[in-house]
Amino acid sequence: MNNNKTIKILLSGEGGQGIQTIARALLATAVEQGFKASYLPSFGVEQRGAPSIAFVIISGEDIKYPRFRHADIVMVLADRAINKTKSFITPNTDVLFDSSVIESSSLPKMSVHKFGTPATQLSHDKFNPKSYNVLMYGVLAKILRLEKEISWKALKNQLNDKFKTKKIEEENRDAYEYGYNAVLEKKKFSKSSFKTKSTINHYYNKDKKATIDPSRCKGCGLCIEKCPVGALSWGNDLGVVATPVPVVDLNKCIGCGMCHQICPDGAIFIEKK
Amino acid sequence: MSDQIMPKSWYAKSKPHYFCPGCGHGIALKQLGYAIDDLRIEDDFVFGIDIGCSLLAWNFFACDTIQTHHGRTTPVMVGYKMTRPSKIVVAYMGDGGGYAIGLQSLLHAAFRNNPITVILVNNENYAMTGGQVAPTTETDVVTTTTPEGKPIEFGPGFLGPEIVRSIANKDAFVARASVSSPLVLRNTLKKAIETQTIKNNFSFVEVLSICPTNWKTNAKESFERLKEMEKYFPLGEI
Repeated sequence: MNNNKTIKILLSGEGGQGIQTIARALLATAVEQGFKASYLPSFGVEQRGAPSIAFVIISGEDIKYPRFRHADIVMVLADRAINKTKSFITPNTDVLFDSSVIESSSLPKMSVHKFGTPATQLSHDKFNPKSYNVLMYGVLAKILRLEKEISWKALKNQLNDKFKTKKIEEENRDAYEYGYNAVLEKKKFSKSSFKTKSTINHYYNKDKKATIDPSRCKGCGLCIEKCPVGALSWGNDLGVVATPVPVVDLNKCIGCGMCHQICPDGAIFIEKK
Repeated sequence: MSDQIMPKSWYAKSKPHYFCPGCGHGIALKQLGYAIDDLRIEDDFVFGIDIGCSLLAWNFFACDTIQTHHGRTTPVMVGYKMTRPSKIVVAYMGDGGGYAIGLQSLLHAAFRNNPITVILVNNENYAMTGGQVAPTTETDVVTTTTPEGKPIEFGPGFLGPEIVRSIANKDAFVARASVSSPLVLRNTLKKAIETQTIKNNFSFVEVLSICPTNWKTNAKESFERLKEMEKYFPLGEI
């Protein structure tokens, strides 16, 4: 990073994705390396699932005001957070996004420099499925030319109690290194591999009929837990917050309707003909 | 049929709703929705919500909804019922709003026997602000502000319906139900609403709920902890 330059970074995603944690780690790294930095969180009242934004400024000079109108770097981790970033993107902005959940065509038209990393897909295949945000943090640290070890240490300080076992820490470290060493490509990224299924799943049997709506399912697993005969299990479709959607085995199902009663989201229904 | 997948009184365009995955509010509101459907009161139903996680239900039902100050849902709905006696009013709140800041409003409504229904969802913490200790938290339970377990000086879990019962009119309906048995919950809610509409008395239902986000539990552990809660908080009419 250049000593006299001011870099304005906008991080955005859904609540629970670790946006604010990434921002705090960036801040700690920048201060450790002798820069001045500011951080302004902005999120709604919900604990999970609502857009969450962090304004970060890293500079060699004094920072007068922590908010800004146009960002130099924008990082987007979730589809539903794109709208919130629209007004901050100019043709000079570098947009980093998770190309396995976001298609580049859904990004604002103003963005020219779009760099996708299939973070969710990679962390699903190679590392811990939850380490996609650590991978994106590595990409961001590389772009800002931050010191590799210092920024990892800052992140580790933030996530200390989340790394319960050595294995989780190593997987995250691998994801971070992959992100740090990744080469950013300018590709089309027209198809995202992790996408909510938009159609309703129907299951038929000679005496029962089941309906599961992935566009409402949040993947809490209460129905699987409450099913008295174990007819429900995790499937391959993805729900509204990119979690797996249950599938029903109608040969085992006794049609008691417990899953329908317990589902907080109104995503499952089973009836006898 | 996809139109049976959720209650008719739910506002379909606002779904998926704003609650966390696996939130007990969704289960309680689903059974309230079916109770409204079964009693056919959707035209006269007025829903009052509190500050806290319960406010995320501001567009949950396809009916009139009032958002009030913290803990003041009960007096606002009492006032609404006084001016529009033909309406069926339900005050919906969490344990923080009902037992901590709004207890005097709740007790006075019960004492005056105002014909309203109060539904209080108890998940043993302040969920929206990050899981701090609440009056209802049991002794030795770990929360963000009591990392070594709730100390005995903070008092045991707050038994709300018992306190309301001791002050309420003898005709008032006071009960506790749990989201672990949804159909019992639905019948309890129906009974509470009928107490208001037919007998013109005060009714109060506490719903034991789960909070996977702040308890840091998965589906199985959530229900296990709810089972432990049900041992301390007795279920049924009180």
